Amino acid sequence: METKPILVVDDEKSIRLTLAQALEPLGFPVETAINGEEALAKLEEKDYGMLLLDLKMPGMDGLEVLHRIRERRPRTYVIIITAHGTIESAVEAMKLGAVDFIRKPFSPAEVRELVRQVFDRETLIENDAADYRTLIELCKHAIQDRRFEEAGEIARRAMARDPAQPEAFNLFGALLEIEGDSLESLKFYRAALDIDPTYQPARANLERAVSWPRAGEIGLGGDEGQAEPD
Amino acid sequence: MAARRHKSLYIVIVGCGRLGADLANRLSAQGHALVVIDRDESTFQSLTAEYSGFRLEGDATEMEVLKQAKLSQADVFIASTRDDNVNLMVAQIAQKLFHVPRVLARVWDPKRDQVFARLGIETVCPTSVAAGMLLDAVLGSADSQAGSQE
Repeated sequence: METKPILVVDDEKSIRLTLAQALEPLGFPVETAINGEEALAKLEEKDYGMLLLDLKMPGMDGLEVLHRIRERRPRTYVIIITAHGTIESAVEAMKLGAVDFIRKPFSPAEVRELVRQVFDRETLIENDAADYRTLIELCKHAIQDRRFEEAGEIARRAMARDPAQPEAFNLFGALLEIEGDSLESLKFYRAALDIDPTYQPARANLERAVSWPRAGEIGLGGDEGQAEPD
Repeated sequence: MAARRHKSLYIVIVGCGRLGADLANRLSAQGHALVVIDRDESTFQSLTAEYSGFRLEGDATEMEVLKQAKLSQADVFIASTRDDNVNLMVAQIAQKLFHVPRVLARVWDPKRDQVFARLGIETVCPTSVAAGMLLDAVLGSADSQAGSQE
């Protein structure tokens, strides 16, 4: 694993402290920035392996920071810190290339696990030759075989591989719906539609998910199989 | 940053009254990860600047709020609202549904203490504790006055 430092960007002192303490045992040097401006200044000077980025900050917000990072340091992994109920902006951030998000409040173990997972996953993506289409197919297969956790991982990889395609967002929404988180799944269906308003599977999923009773099956897109809704 | 080399626990406290806030402040200062839940946001003012945990405004008797607090990951759960019944209920939820390894509750009424104990919930009853201390103080001074030590 690389030992580039991790930068924690949050205007709340308590979050910076919690994250820094949580990451300490992983052996990465952890640095902090209190706002977007400071974060960008630090990014100018040094190459960070990962950024833990709060979206809601006074002044330059997280999305703006993310925009600029994509221009200057496209190879820095960004994990979004989000408050409960503001997952839309996290989805927005993933469209901009953030690799994952964590919801407040979080336990130190959860943070460590996520950071480890992201590093593992990203190394896998860099080393693996699987292109976007292959990942999408793998993900659908995993869903059909009810290997939902694995499917989630693959969907995340696909989203990171090409955030400008709707399929992975739709699949991730489908996975959330299968797991019973129907409210959050809507946001991913909408994200897929934002990317491509003509993408039918996401439109159908969204329409089905907001209708009552929820009739019909969750669509994974493409011709191949469908997942059972429960 | 001062490195504290002991295991950091994920602790959820329900009720940010005097007891809850004081506990949260002390545990947080010791390097543990805290979440404090209270229905009344203004109670969070009792948390000091040293408190580095999360504040969650909401009713802990609602499952959604407990899920938000990620209770299933908690190492310790402390129920410290002013209402024994609420404490009993959320403590049971924490234990039975979220499988929190260590569940503690504050109970005012010593009679209810027994009920909690039977349910396997560790309790602290301020009334009993204070009574015991007062008793010790009274008897202790009586003993010392009599000059007898057993």
